[in-house]
Amino acid sequence: MEGLTGDDASLVDRLRRGDPRAFEDLVIAYQHRVFGVALRMLGSRAEAEELAQEVFLRVHRAIGEFRGEAKLSTWLYAIASRLCLNRLATGERRMARQGEETLTRLASREVGPAEEMERNELETALHRAIAELGEERRIVVVLRDLEGLSYEEIATALELELGTVRSRLHRARMDLREKLERFLP
Amino acid sequence: MTCHDAREQFSALVDDALTPSERAALDAHLATCADCRRELQRFRDTVALLRAVEPLRAPAGFVDHLLEATRPDPWYRRLLRGLFLPWPIKLPMEAAAIVLVGIGVALVYRATLDTRQFAGGLSGERPAAESPVTESLGRRAAAPARELSARRDLPPTGEQDKPGEQSKLKDQAPGLAETYQAKEAPEPPKSPATIAPRSLDAAVEKKHEERGETQAAKQAAKTDAADATRAALERARTSGEAESLRSRPAPAAPRSQADAPPGARSAPPVAALRFAPPTVSGRLIVSDVDAALRGLAEVVTRLGVVENGRADASGGQIVELSVSRDAYPELTRELARLGRWQPSKEPAELPAQLRVVLQITRGSPRRRRRNFRRSLRSNSIAADIRKTGGTTS
Repeated sequence: MEGLTGDDASLVDRLRRGDPRAFEDLVIAYQHRVFGVALRMLGSRAEAEELAQEVFLRVHRAIGEFRGEAKLSTWLYAIASRLCLNRLATGERRMARQGEETLTRLASREVGPAEEMERNELETALHRAIAELGEERRIVVVLRDLEGLSYEEIATALELELGTVRSRLHRARMDLREKLERFLP
Repeated sequence: MTCHDAREQFSALVDDALTPSERAALDAHLATCADCRRELQRFRDTVALLRAVEPLRAPAGFVDHLLEATRPDPWYRRLLRGLFLPWPIKLPMEAAAIVLVGIGVALVYRATLDTRQFAGGLSGERPAAESPVTESLGRRAAAPARELSARRDLPPTGEQDKPGEQSKLKDQAPGLAETYQAKEAPEPPKSPATIAPRSLDAAVEKKHEERGETQAAKQAAKTDAADATRAALERARTSGEAESLRSRPAPAAPRSQADAPPGARSAPPVAALRFAPPTVSGRLIVSDVDAALRGLAEVVTRLGVVENGRADASGGQIVELSVSRDAYPELTRELARLGRWQPSKEPAELPAQLRVVLQITRGSPRRRRRNFRRSLRSNSIAADIRKTGGTTS
């Protein structure tokens, strides 16, 4: 488990031992990140919540298969990304995912303080621009610029070559640069 | 390095992912290209915007919902889920299974009932009122009988004896049934075991009626039964039995002939004296009942056998014949040619004149073979058939 930090290693140990508190700790630690990726990719809060739950349930069931070669967070992002891409690819969409609809929902719902910021124009434009990216580019830019994964971690999570990650990320950023032109200084 | 090449590396530059030589080449281009420098700045600003996006937060209660989902369900919920989910698949399958089991039970029950009726009626262990002939006629009369009295639908008990019922049957279905019942009326009350099939039969019949017999048919049966009752009462009056019929309400039917008024004992119905249990009875299993009946008619004519009567039976016919002792062996050979003759009652010593009751039924090839093997093992008559070269298979 050389890829794990001290906290993650301890958490994984406790998960493997079946410590009931360990799973709760895992969910508390990673819920927002997993949910964030799911929502950026799927566009629907309900669908994102469902998918995030599925991610943690899979982790709960398959913790024995986690070899610890990568960071725990990378493993979680990998599961979340694959589930999102599979769902988008197979059309297994019970809830409609339309960029416009999602953005409207994000901007008009009763929201908490953290989401209040999404109401402003820049946030809306950013959400829209990210949502309009192709799925393959979107997941890379989300993992890199919004979640802060390294190129190597993205390549591991998505099982891609490093060059492919770099190329997709560059294309995604160029697309976004054009779409966000008017917000640039 | 062209501008295009330089801009392709902006991403790697922003992420510090360029090798030193790549970085040096790019820096050299940027030093000489104002457009690329401006473009790089816009690129950096874009990435900065992205990285400044506020992280999204999972909805409140997410952790609780998830922990709830990982808790094992109580056993009853798992059981219900296992039984019924997914319901669009499992419910139709379960319904189909119930229907199939129901059909299976009905078929087995019917087969058992036939076997019991036949075995009981012909072996003499059961009263003659349960014989195939009266059984079939009794079935015909069952609906009107119910109209007249609900006794037949009562659960079988030792107190529910046959004589009372027989008198009713006799009233409603004069003919062969009447004769057997009249003869057998004095029998003592039957045990529940012997009565059970009759009650079950009535239950089956009731079900059949409920299922689909028309009201018109019921009405017709009712009318027939009423006529039959009037006629029987008339006959009974002439023979002194009217008193017994009137004085016996249905629930008090268990009285045997010994308890009947002296008039009834001293003057039994004329028909009762004419009829007696058959000397020989058995089942003739054929592949085609109609063909067998035609063949039997020829045999009857050829051997000078007298046909006393016929009755419908489930899946065939019951025929009663009178035959002389001398002609009987030839008759059995002919029967063996017509189908598979399985006598269930055949005394060792035959009287001069025999009454033979045949139940002609259609048998499946598999069942025929199985019954044939069984009959070869157990029946002496089968051995005779083999000796005489009878074709029974």
